[in-house]
Amino acid sequence: MMSVSRATVLWGLIAEHAAAGGRRVAVGDVCAVAVASVQASGAWVAAASSRGPDFVLSVTDPVSEQLAELQLLLGEGPSHDVLAAAAPVLAADLGDQESARRWPAFTAEARNIGAMAVFAFPLMIGAIRSGIIGLYRSSPGPLSSLQLGDCLLLADTATVLLLESLDGGTPPADGIGPGMRPGGQSPDLAVHRVEIDQATGMLTVQLGVTAGEAFARLRAYAYARDRRLADVAGDIVARRLRLDPEPGQEAGR
Amino acid sequence: MDSELLSGTFVELADTMVADFDIIDFLHMLTDRSVALLAASAAGVVLADPRGELRVAAASSEAAGMVELFQIQNDQGPCLDCFRSGHSVTAADLADPGTPWPRFAAAATQAGFRTVEALPMRLRDQVIGALNLFRATPGAFEPADLRIAQALADVATIGLLQERSLRRSETMAEQLQAALNSRVVIEQAKGKLAERLGTDMDEAFRLLRDHARNSNQRLTDVARNFVDSTSAEFPPPPGQ
Repeated sequence: MMSVSRATVLWGLIAEHAAAGGRRVAVGDVCAVAVASVQASGAWVAAASSRGPDFVLSVTDPVSEQLAELQLLLGEGPSHDVLAAAAPVLAADLGDQESARRWPAFTAEARNIGAMAVFAFPLMIGAIRSGIIGLYRSSPGPLSSLQLGDCLLLADTATVLLLESLDGGTPPADGIGPGMRPGGQSPDLAVHRVEIDQATGMLTVQLGVTAGEAFARLRAYAYARDRRLADVAGDIVARRLRLDPEPGQEAGR
Repeated sequence: MDSELLSGTFVELADTMVADFDIIDFLHMLTDRSVALLAASAAGVVLADPRGELRVAAASSEAAGMVELFQIQNDQGPCLDCFRSGHSVTAADLADPGTPWPRFAAAATQAGFRTVEALPMRLRDQVIGALNLFRATPGAFEPADLRIAQALADVATIGLLQERSLRRSETMAEQLQAALNSRVVIEQAKGKLAERLGTDMDEAFRLLRDHARNSNQRLTDVARNFVDSTSAEFPPPPGQ
């Protein structure tokens, strides 16, 4: 399917960027690929709690850093709105009245430092919120539908990376970074969503953990057994598999 | 045809300006009413994700949702053809060996469906998704029923897209993402509740929706509060 291959292409670019720096894949690599693939001037990722964006994790350039910090300082801006709306905020022209009305202080400051368009995407999976990814352009103009699709796929990847880094992750012996699935596949969130989401909900009860931790445990289980995430989720939903609160004790039944 | 239910449904579908409007609840109403009005066994709604694929947004039963998902995962079926062409697509008998969608037909008949009608949800020249009607017996839907189904899909499309745009200048992409994320929250909540009570997913959904209605809350808010709650108690204790 076309979108799967696009997700794989983007994942390849992210892994390449990390490898060129001799590092494991991290959200900074997602920012770099986002800038290149949607012709942005810069990008940033901020971690978030239920209250809103909390701290800046990664920036590609000084303007992005200022934009991210500015929103934390002012308590307004697209980064705040994406989490409340659970949807992207696409401010294609910070010179328009709508932006000035929504974020009067942020819009003025952002334009002063050269940002003319800002696009922000929530890093979330349903009720799980881990942060935001923001992009800016030094000239106004909307994202094309293909660029928007890329941003959403990149946001999915950043979400998974953040959740796994918060989980502590279990670095595999072969040196493949967290976030990369067996066989070098990108996180296969989009197509098999329903059972993965239902299994995540079931695991919050089985394991007594938050939805974010439940999702990370689901992925870790699949990874450790070299199985597809969707297949493990299907077994959990069909009640053929339960995960144990103590990792390593799981058994099918 | 229950004309009172029909007129009531149009009023409800057009009434999206209410404060407690919930997109997924709205689309579920569309699928439930389609079943009740059109002699269908089940119905589903798929919406286009800007990532480049269709996603199941609502289904009148878990089985219908799974058949929708099967089409998307296998890139084959009347719903996909409808979405791509922008025209309605009829599968009058899925047991017909000449079906253009053999893998889909096998999955759908196994789930108990013999007939499918896929109707586009379109706004001007853009197709945003499809409404799909399933029937357990072979034979195409009546033309009069299909005209009503298309009218329901049209009114729902307009309602869906104007709900937020009247309050804020959001793009369609922003609105659809919010709808699709709502769907994810609800699936997570269904999983948590099904595990807690030992029920199936259909029953968990019914309990979530009943609680939302009885307590005058949006379905998505009930689902999100329940998933966010540190306890598995349902309904979640107040103040969480």
